[in-house]
Amino acid sequence: MAEAEFFAAEGLSKHFGGISAVDDLSISLARGELVGLIGPNGSGKTTTINMVAGALRPDRGAIRLCGVTMTGSAAHVFARSGVARTFQVPRLFRRMTVLENLIVPALSNPAARRPEAERRAGEVLSFLRLEHLTRSLARALSGGQQKLLELGRALMLRPTLLLLDEPFAGVHPQLLAQIMEHISSLNADGHTIIVVDHNIDAIRSLVRRTVVMAQGRKIADGLSENVLRDPAVIRAYTGARDAH
Amino acid sequence: MTRSHAVQAVLLIVALALPGWAGPYWVHVGAIAWYYALLASSWALLAGYAGQFSFAHVAFAALGGYASALLTLQLGFPPVPGIVAGVVLAMVAGALIGWLVLRLSGPYLALFTLALSEIFRLILVAEQQLTRGSLGLRVPGLFAGESDSPYYYLGLGLLVAALLLMAGLLRTRVGLFLRAIREDEGAARAAGVNTTLYKILVFVVTSGLAGLAGTYYGPFIGILTPGIVILPEMGLVIAMAVIGGIESLPGAAVGAVLVYVLSELTREYGQWRFVLLGLALILVQRFAQNGLFAVLERPLVRPAAMEAERGRG
Repeated sequence: MAEAEFFAAEGLSKHFGGISAVDDLSISLARGELVGLIGPNGSGKTTTINMVAGALRPDRGAIRLCGVTMTGSAAHVFARSGVARTFQVPRLFRRMTVLENLIVPALSNPAARRPEAERRAGEVLSFLRLEHLTRSLARALSGGQQKLLELGRALMLRPTLLLLDEPFAGVHPQLLAQIMEHISSLNADGHTIIVVDHNIDAIRSLVRRTVVMAQGRKIADGLSENVLRDPAVIRAYTGARDAH
Repeated sequence: MTRSHAVQAVLLIVALALPGWAGPYWVHVGAIAWYYALLASSWALLAGYAGQFSFAHVAFAALGGYASALLTLQLGFPPVPGIVAGVVLAMVAGALIGWLVLRLSGPYLALFTLALSEIFRLILVAEQQLTRGSLGLRVPGLFAGESDSPYYYLGLGLLVAALLLMAGLLRTRVGLFLRAIREDEGAARAAGVNTTLYKILVFVVTSGLAGLAGTYYGPFIGILTPGIVILPEMGLVIAMAVIGGIESLPGAAVGAVLVYVLSELTREYGQWRFVLLGLALILVQRFAQNGLFAVLERPLVRPAAMEAERGRG
């Protein structure tokens, strides 16, 4: 995979007080890959996403994007370098309009101009089928629409690496199909994507490669159909369920 | 020109004409009201737009006022360079405070800035040789003669210039970023916004304007005391901004003038005035969360966003 290494996280570790959230995690991605990241609650998935997006600084390890070391850079530098993310629970600019939510990331590029940003926002809204809500306040959107808008906000950064944290959580089955369709089409357009989710069926049908985490460590990484049959993976999930 | 602009133009014309028909007492009241309007509107930019609920705003006014007065008195600065230096010093202090509170928000930011403000007030009290402590520092006036009209027009000019400056800033992408930071700082960072830069910037701009208010207030009143930094003064500025409209700069300015004028009209009621102020604050919070200025404007302007939200409701 070395010839096509687009993104690499090497030996990432993060502790919170005495608790090890992520321990010596390494993942590398080729350009255009679509990867699922799964694991029981508390396995360190979101901490990993936070480190990869620059929101959390790893205690140890390195993050490289296209060969450039990004470790320690601020989150907005990650974002401007093409790493875009969504959150488990949508974190929109609630008292701003849908259009304003979208042009903030576009205008964070100092060279960008507002008319161009608005034109691009129009394209993204039409891709997400949200054009009719352009001038609505974000807080007036339904839960599903908020998920889509957050995806749109990430797309406005013209990302090369898209990190989706639980895009299927709590969404209506019809919307789930729509979000899966969007992810596939973005991947077909060349976006490299990491999808974190608990919905094993959705992950299985969406991604070829799945990485599994448990207790802060990577316990499996490979073709989804093999990984999801792996006894260690099944044990991690079942064990977690037993623990509740 | 929108109808909202028309409302503001009418208010400005009334303000310009007032010294022509009102007596000297109301000219004096108006000149003080501009000081509060400058403070309330700049605080509205800081707290209402950028979400930085700081209690140190009146301390910046005092810093600007004391600095320009001391530079004039001790180092012989002419008035205008003294005022400029006072404003610049307030901006530098604003940058420093903005940087110090980068990781603080909500009640932590409020408490931290309150403590800083109190420390500054105690320094003003304690440094008697420099500031004359609670006795107050006599500040030379800017204009010859007894009339308050020059100050009235100077204050009004400064207020209008400050409102135009802030409105201009909010029309650029900076306004968009400040509101994004207020809504969710982490999400703003994830959207590529350099939140550190813009938070410091908004502290610099608003502290400079508060400092400017102080440099105007000192020479007009003729004396500066540490009393301008006390918590009730900050509370008054906050109440003015909230009553007028914390997310509207002209709204906060109108709120300041309204509250100050009403407090003058009810002067005979002594401390009961503040009970009335508290009641007004509660009523506005309950029935007009966007402030009285929005209520005044509502029949005239209907923002598209408000309509869209109502359409969904």
